[in-house]
Amino acid sequence: MGEIILTMKGIDKSFPGVHALDHVDLEVRKGEVLALMGENGAGKSTLMKVLTGIYTKDSGTITYEGREVEFHNTKEAQDAGIVIVHQELNMLSHLTVAQNIFIGREFKKGFRIDDKKMNQEAAKLFKRLNIDIDPTEMMGNLTVGKQQMCEIAKAISHEAKIIIFDEPSAALTETEIEELFKIIRDLRDQNLGIVYISHRMDEIKVITDRVTVMRDGTYVGTLITKECTKNDIINMMVGRVIYEDPKTHSMVPKGAPVVLKVENLNAGKMVQNVSFELHKGEILGFSGLMGAGRTETARAIFGADPKQSGDIYINGKKVTINNPQDAVKNGIGYLSEDRKRYGIVVQKTVAENTTMASLENFCNGVFIDKKKEEKIAQEYVDSLATKTPSVDQLVVNLSGGNQQKVVIAKWLTRNCDILIFDEPTRGIDVGAKNEIYKLMNKLAAEGKAIIMISSEMTEILRMSDRIVIMCEGKITGEIDIAEATQESIMNLATREIG
Amino acid sequence: MTNQTAASTAKKKSSLDKLGGQKFLVLIVIIALYLFFFAMSPNFRKYTTLVSILDYSYYIALMAIGVTFPLITGGVDLSIGTGVICYSLVGGYLITHQGFPVWAGMLVTVLFGIAIGTLNGVLVAIMEIPPFLVTLCTCMITRGLGSIIVGGFGISWPTAIQPGGWFRNIFKITLTNEAGQRTLIPIGILWVILLVIIMSFVLNHTRVGRYTIAIGSNKEAARLSGVNVKLYHILAYVISGFFAGLAAISYSAVFTTVQPGTGAGFELEAIGGAIIGGVSASGGVGTVTGSLLGVFVICLLKTGLPFIGLQANWQQIITGLVLISAVLIDVIKKRREVK
Amino acid sequence: MENLKNNPLVKKIGLNRLLLIGVLIVMYVAFAIISPTFLSYSRILSLLNYVYFLGFLSLGVTFVIATGGIDFSIGPVMFCCALISGYCLTSYGFPMIAAMLISILVGCLFGCFNGYLVAYWSVPPFIVSMASMNIAKGLASVFTKTQSVSWPQASAEGGWYRSLVKIGNVPVGLFIFLAAAIICAIILNKTKIGRYILSLGSNKEAVRLSGVNVKKWEMLAYVICGILVGIGAIFFVAAYTTVQPGYGDQYNNEAIAGCVMGGTSMAGGLASISGTVIGVFIIALLQEGILALGLNKNYQLIITGIIVIAAVYFDVLGRRRKN
Repeated sequence: MGEIILTMKGIDKSFPGVHALDHVDLEVRKGEVLALMGENGAGKSTLMKVLTGIYTKDSGTITYEGREVEFHNTKEAQDAGIVIVHQELNMLSHLTVAQNIFIGREFKKGFRIDDKKMNQEAAKLFKRLNIDIDPTEMMGNLTVGKQQMCEIAKAISHEAKIIIFDEPSAALTETEIEELFKIIRDLRDQNLGIVYISHRMDEIKVITDRVTVMRDGTYVGTLITKECTKNDIINMMVGRVIYEDPKTHSMVPKGAPVVLKVENLNAGKMVQNVSFELHKGEILGFSGLMGAGRTETARAIFGADPKQSGDIYINGKKVTINNPQDAVKNGIGYLSEDRKRYGIVVQKTVAENTTMASLENFCNGVFIDKKKEEKIAQEYVDSLATKTPSVDQLVVNLSGGNQQKVVIAKWLTRNCDILIFDEPTRGIDVGAKNEIYKLMNKLAAEGKAIIMISSEMTEILRMSDRIVIMCEGKITGEIDIAEATQESIMNLATREIG
Repeated sequence: MTNQTAASTAKKKSSLDKLGGQKFLVLIVIIALYLFFFAMSPNFRKYTTLVSILDYSYYIALMAIGVTFPLITGGVDLSIGTGVICYSLVGGYLITHQGFPVWAGMLVTVLFGIAIGTLNGVLVAIMEIPPFLVTLCTCMITRGLGSIIVGGFGISWPTAIQPGGWFRNIFKITLTNEAGQRTLIPIGILWVILLVIIMSFVLNHTRVGRYTIAIGSNKEAARLSGVNVKLYHILAYVISGFFAGLAAISYSAVFTTVQPGTGAGFELEAIGGAIIGGVSASGGVGTVTGSLLGVFVICLLKTGLPFIGLQANWQQIITGLVLISAVLIDVIKKRREVK
Repeated sequence: MENLKNNPLVKKIGLNRLLLIGVLIVMYVAFAIISPTFLSYSRILSLLNYVYFLGFLSLGVTFVIATGGIDFSIGPVMFCCALISGYCLTSYGFPMIAAMLISILVGCLFGCFNGYLVAYWSVPPFIVSMASMNIAKGLASVFTKTQSVSWPQASAEGGWYRSLVKIGNVPVGLFIFLAAAIICAIILNKTKIGRYILSLGSNKEAVRLSGVNVKKWEMLAYVICGILVGIGAIFFVAAYTTVQPGYGDQYNNEAIAGCVMGGTSMAGGLASISGTVIGVFIIALLQEGILALGLNKNYQLIITGIIVIAAVYFDVLGRRRKN
C-alpha cells in the first residue's frame, strides 16, 4: 500500500435542517481501493461532493498531495486529478461517445474540432480498459452499463490520481460488474487512489483494501478489509437497535383475502412477465438492486407509465388501469421514491396536499369547503403526529419525514386500500424512519395492503411479511419472512438469468 | 463481439437515417409543392417567378440559419422578425439621411443585430429569464426603436441605379445580352448556400456548435464538464442576432422600401422553417441544412398560394398550421420511440 | 422594515401589493404634475377605457401563466374576436347580442385550440402562441377581406353595447371589470378549478400521480383565458369602436406585464388576481402617461418590454434566493 495522497479532516457541513456531515475524517492512499460505506443518507455522497467542490464545506481541512486545497468546482478538482464517476450519469445523449468523453477539452486543429483524433483517443482508452464500445456511437443509444463505462473512460482520460466511484454497480448486470472490477484492479495497479462508495457488502469484500464506515453524517472508523468480517462492518454501519429487530414471522392472518393480483405484466424492458399477489393486511417487500425494475413495476401498476400487456385484479375483479386516475379510483395509492418531484406539491400547504387526491369530496359543486378540508388535514396531522405549526404551512418548510407523512395522509384521505410505498424512508433521518415504520405496521394491522419497495436490506427484513425479489425486470423469487436471510435475498437479486 | 459491433453500426446508421430521412422527406415535399404549383398555374412556370421565390427566401433563410442555434439550445429567438426591419431601417437611415457610405450602413446593420443578440443572450444565459419572454420583449423593443430612430417613415436604401446601389448586386445581377434582353441572375442563393455550409461546419466541427448542442442536450452535464455554458449560451443568441443583421441587408437589397412597424411574423416563417427541417422544439437536435430546406417549404407556400387564387392572408394561417403540424409530427415520433 | 412587515394590516394586504399601490399612486401624482390634464375626469375615463380590455386580457393570461405556460397570442386573438364578430354585425346584420356571443365563442375556440395542443400534445406553449397569433391575424384578415370594422356608434341601432363602458359619466365598465376580477379571484382561490390549475403549475407530475386529470385542467386554463379575451374584445370595441386587422401584438406584452408585475410567477403555481388588477392599472397609466409626455406609441413598446423583463427578473431573483 502506497503513501497517503489525500487527507480530509474534521469536515463539517450543514444544510437547512440537516447536519449532513459532522466532523468527518477520510484518508486515501495511492494504489489502494478504499471503500466508503454507510446506509443511505449516511453522508457518503455529500462528503465526496465537498471534496470535488460541488458543495462548500463549513469547516475542516482537505490535504491533497501534501498541500491544503479547496476546490470551487468540479473542473478545478478534475484539473488537480480528482474525478468522480457519478451515480446519476451526466451524459449528453445527443452527442457521440467520444464527444462526451472529451467535452470541454476537445482536441483542435485550428478552428476545427479534431473528431478523428478524439475517436482514436477514445478507442485507446477503451482498449486500455478492455471495453468494446464504438466511440462514434450516439451516447443515447447505449445501455446504462455502457454509459457507465464511458464515464469511467472519461475519468481516466483526465489523468486522474484519485477516482471516486459513487455506487457504480447499482445499475450494472453481473457481467458488467465483473468487467468493472477488472478495470478497477487495473487502475489500482497503476498506482491510482480509488474511493469506492457502495452499500453492497459482497462487493466490498471482493474489491477493496480498506473500509471507512460512516453513519448519520459521522465518521465511525476504518478497517482493513482482509482482517475484518462482514459482521464487523455491519456493526459499525448499523450500531442501532432498530436494525437488529427483523420480523421473524408473517403478521398476516391465515387465509387473508387477495386484494391485488397482477398477472403477466409487461412494460418495456424493465418489467417482464411480472406476476404476484398481495393480501389484505400484508406488507409485501420488493427487494432487488437499483435498476431491477421495481419502481417501473409499481408505476406500471399505478398507470403512471404505459404498459404493453398484463392483467390486474382487485378483490378478484379484473380492472383496467390506463392512467393514475383509474388506479386511484380503484383504491391504489402510490408514494413515490422521489417525494419532491412526484409526491407533493411543495409550494402548497399541508391541507391542500392532503386533499389533492380526493378534492371532489371536499367540494360543494365547484367550491372548495376549506373548513372541511382543514379539519381532515388536522385529523391526519394529529393521528400521524406530523410536525407542522399548522395545516396552512407550506409543505416546503417541512422536514423529509413529515413531508412523507403528508403524502401518506393524502392517500389515507382518499381511503386507498392498496398502498405502494416506493423507498418510503429515503432521505429521512433515523428517528422519523422509525415513526414511518410504526405507521406502516399500524396501517397493515388495520387491513391495508402495502407494497414496499426498498433498497435497504434491513428495512426489507424488518418490515416485510413476504418478500418478492426482482432482477433485470423479472421476478426471480418470493420468500416468506420466516425463511428470508440477507444472503438468500441477495442471491436472488443478482441471479444470472439464463 | 463482431456481432455486437455490427449491431451497433446498424443502430447508428438508423439514427443517421432519421436525421437524413427527415431532410429527404422535406426535399420531396419541396419538389412536390413546386410541381403542384407548376401544374396549377402557367404564371408560376415563368423564370421571373422562380427568381422572386428566391428573392423572398433570402432573408427568411438567413434568419433560419441563425435561429437554428438558439433553438438547438432549447430556447427560441422571437426578436429576429421585427429585428430585421429595425436593423434595416437604422442602416438605411444612416445611408440616406446621414450620408454614411453604403458599406458603413451595412456594417452598422449587422452590428446592431449582434448587439440585440448579445442583449438577448445575456438576459437568457446570465439573468436566467425564459428565452421566449426575453425575445418577445426585445421583439417589441426593436419594433419601437426602429420607428423612433427613423422618425416613423419608410426608408429606401439606394436603388440599383443610384450611387451606392452596388450592394443590390450582391443578391441579384442583371445581365444584358446584345439584343438588349435582360436576364436576372439570383446569385444571392449562392451566398445563402455558402453560409449554410459555413454554419454547418460551425455546428458540427467547432466548439461553438458542439457546446450549443451540449447545452440543449443537458446543460448541467455540460457545466459539470467544465464548459463555460453561459458564454456559449450567449453566443447562440449572438449568432442569431448576427444572421438577423445579414437578413436585414438582404431584405434591404431585395425590397425597395422598408416600413417601420412591420416584420412581426417573419420570425414565424424562419422558426417554422427550422422546425420543419428537423430542429427539435425541445432542443439538442437540428441541422442547418435542414433549416434551409424547411424555409423553402414555407417560401414556396408563401409565393405559390397567390398563384392558385388564395389571397396573401391565407398564407399566414397556413404557415401557422404547418408549424403546428411539424411540431406534432416531432411529438408523435418521440412518443412512439418511448413505447 | 421588520415592523412594517409585521403590521397586521400590511400582512393582510401583502407587502408587495402595498408597494404596487404605492407605485401606482406615485406614478399618477408624477404624471399629474407633468400634465395637469391627468386630474381631469375625462382623462381618467379614457385611462379606464384602456384598463378594461387590457384588464380582461391580463386576467385571462394570469390563469395560463399560473399553469406555468404562456399565451402571447391574446392580443391578436382579441382583435380577431372583435373583427369577426363586428363583421357579422355590420355585414351580415347579426343582432348585437349575437355578435357579442360570437366574440366570446371565437376567443373560446382559440383557447381550446391552444389548450388542447399544449395539454394533450405537449407542444411547447411558445410555439402554440406563435402559431395561433399568426392564425388569428390571418383569419381576421381573410374574414374581413382586410378591411377595418367599425362597430355602431352609441346613438345607432344596437349602440347600447357602449354603455358597458360608461352610462353618461358613470364608468360602468369599472364595476363590470372589478366584478369579473372578483369572480376570477374566486375561481382561482376558492374552487377546485383554481386549486388544480395552481397545483399543476407548481408540480404537474405530482398532481397527475394523485389521480387528477391534469390535461383537462391545464386545457381549461387556456379556455378560461380565451373566454376572457373574447370579453376583452367587446370592451375594446365598446371603448374605441374601430378595429383594424393585422394588429394587436403590443397588447400581449402589456397584458403579460400587468400580470407579472402583480406577482404572478412565470414559473407557475403562484398567481394573484388582485396583483394583476393593480398591475393593469399601472400599465394602463404608463401607456397614457407616455402619450401625455408627447411620446408616441413606439416608446410604449420599448418601456413595456423593459418592464416585463425587469418584473420577470425580480421573480427569478426571488426564486433563486429561496433555493
